[in-house]
Amino acid sequence: MQRRQPGMAISGLLRNEQTLMSLTNNRLVAKTGMPKIFRFLLANLFFLVIGIGCFSQAQAQTKAASQRLVLTGSSTLAPLAGEIARRFESLHPGVRIDVQTGGSSRGIHDVRKGIAAIGLVSRALKPDEADLQAFTIAQDGVSIIVHAGNPVITLSREQIADIYTGRITRWNVAGGTDARITVVNKAEGRSTLELFLDYLQLKNSEIKPHVIIGDNAQGIKTVIGNPHAIGYVSIGAAEYEARRGAPVRLLSLGGVEASVENVRQGIFPLSRPLNLVTSGEPQGLARQFIEFARSAQVHDLIRTQYFVPVNAD
Amino acid sequence: MREITNIHTRQILRDRVVQLLVYAAVLLISMVFIWILADLVRGGIAHLSWEFLMESPRDAGRTGGIASILVSTLLILLTALLTAVPVAWTTAILLVEFVPADSPFGKTVRFSLHVLAGVPSIVFGLFGNAFFCIYLGLGFSILSGGLTLACMLLPILTSTAEAGLRAVPHAYRTSASALGLTRTAALVHLILPAAAPVLAAGLLLGIGRALAETAALLFTSGYVERMPDSLLDSGRALALHIFDLSMNVPGGDMPAYASALVLVGLLLCINTLAMKFAYGLQHRKIMT
Repeated sequence: MQRRQPGMAISGLLRNEQTLMSLTNNRLVAKTGMPKIFRFLLANLFFLVIGIGCFSQAQAQTKAASQRLVLTGSSTLAPLAGEIARRFESLHPGVRIDVQTGGSSRGIHDVRKGIAAIGLVSRALKPDEADLQAFTIAQDGVSIIVHAGNPVITLSREQIADIYTGRITRWNVAGGTDARITVVNKAEGRSTLELFLDYLQLKNSEIKPHVIIGDNAQGIKTVIGNPHAIGYVSIGAAEYEARRGAPVRLLSLGGVEASVENVRQGIFPLSRPLNLVTSGEPQGLARQFIEFARSAQVHDLIRTQYFVPVNAD
Repeated sequence: MREITNIHTRQILRDRVVQLLVYAAVLLISMVFIWILADLVRGGIAHLSWEFLMESPRDAGRTGGIASILVSTLLILLTALLTAVPVAWTTAILLVEFVPADSPFGKTVRFSLHVLAGVPSIVFGLFGNAFFCIYLGLGFSILSGGLTLACMLLPILTSTAEAGLRAVPHAYRTSASALGLTRTAALVHLILPAAAPVLAAGLLLGIGRALAETAALLFTSGYVERMPDSLLDSGRALALHIFDLSMNVPGGDMPAYASALVLVGLLLCINTLAMKFAYGLQHRKIMT
C-alpha cells in the first residue's frame, strides 16, 4: 500500500477497502508459498492420527471380550464413583466401568430404562421409587453458606424458609447489614434441592431464587463472588474451600455446627445418604462392584472426596 | 473559498473520528482476547508441565494430567469433521454450482440450515442421546459424541462454504467453460482453490465450536476419563473436563486453568496450520 499523506484519510480508507475486496476476489494476495516444514508437519499429524486410530482399533479387538458396567447419575457422586471404579478396574483386569453424570433424577431414569446398570443417587429413595434397590456407600451433609464478610452466624429454620420464600429480603432483618439478600437455589432435579426443600417443608414453586446453580463448586463460587448471597451446598465441598481460605462461612443449623464430623455422628439435621441404585437384585458384576464400593477398601477414597464413609454392616 | 476549506476541514475531522472509533473497536476486540489469554496463562502456567500432558487424570482430575482427555477430544473432533465436512461442502457445492440461487429447493435447504444453526447445543445433545446413544445403540461413546457434533457443525460449514463459493467471481466459471474445462475440472482446479481461504475459515469456526462444546457432549460422549480404546468407548472432552473441574470438583481450579490453557493453545495451533494450508493450496493452484 502507498504511504498515506496527511489529509488523505478518505482515500486511505477507500484504498483499504479496495484491498480487502480484492483479497476476497483472490487477485491481490501476497505471494508466499507454503513452507516445506508445514507440509511436513501436516503429513506427520495426519499419519499420527491414522496411527492412533489403527492402534485403538487393534486394542479394541483384543479387549472385545471384556465386561462393561455403566453407571449414571448424581454429579456429587460421580467423581467418587469414578475413583472407586478406577480402583475396581485395577483389581479386576478386563473389566470396564463407565461413570456418566447428569443428576440423581437421570440416574433413576437410566436405571429404569436399562441404559445403566447402576444409578448414582445422592438422596434417599422416595416412596414412588420402591421398584429400585438402594445401597448406601457414604453420607453427605448439606450446609447453608454465606460470604465470610457477612456478620450472620446462625439462622433458624423459619428464617431460612422466610429468606427462600421472599418474606425476608434484607439481611438486617436476620441480624446482618442493611443489604439485599441474593438467594441462590439449586436447579430442578438436584438432590441437594430436594433434601433442602424437605428440611424446610417447602415446594420448589414457593422459592423465589435470584440465582439458580447446578453443582456444588459453582454454588460456592457464586457466594464467594457476592457478599450478600446465601446458598446451600455439600458440607464436604464447603469445608474444603473454607479451610483453603475461600471467603465462605458455613452456618450452624438448629444449634449444630455444620461439619463433616457432625454428619458422621448423625446429629446434623441436613444430611443425606449417597446411594448406588439398581433395578431389582443386582447380579454378577454389578453386585461385585456394589460390594466393593461398600467395603472398607474404598474408605480412603470416600474421605478424599470429602464424604463420610458408612459401615455396610 | 474559505467556505470550501471549512467544509474540507470538517470532513477530515469527521474521518479522523470515524477512524479512531474503528481502531478503538479493533483494540477492544484484541484486548478481550489478550485478557482471557493472560488470565489463563497466569492461572495455569504453574500447573502446566510435560507430565500434565502425558498422564491420565487421578483423584477426579485434581492431580495427574489430561492425556486421555486430549486423545478423546481429538478423536471426537476427528469423527465430527470426517463426517460433517464432506457432507457440508458437497451440499454447498450443490447449492452454488448446480441449483439456481432462487429455486424453491435451494431456498428450502438454506432455510432449514439457518434453523439448524440457531438450535441450542443442549437440544443437539438430547437429540444425540436419544438417536445415536439409545436408538442406534451406540451408547455413551466417542462415536455418538462425534456424530452429534457433526450435526451441529453442518449448518456452519455449509453456510460458510456457500458464501465462499459465491464470492468466487462468475468470470472464473465462464472463462473455464470457454477454455473447454468440464464443470468438475473447473470446480477442482479453480473454484475450490479460489474459495479455499473461506472454506478454511469456516472449518476453523466449526473446529472452534466443536472444541468448545460441553452440553451436547455430556449426554453423548460422556464423562469417562479413561484412555479410550476404541471409538465405541466413552471419553470425556476437554471442555467438559474444564467444566467439571471448575464447577463440580472442589479444589479443581488449578488443573482447570491449565486444561483451558491447553485448549486455547490447541485451538491456536489448529487455526494457524489450517490457514497456512488453505493459502498454500490457493497459491499452488491459482497463483503460479
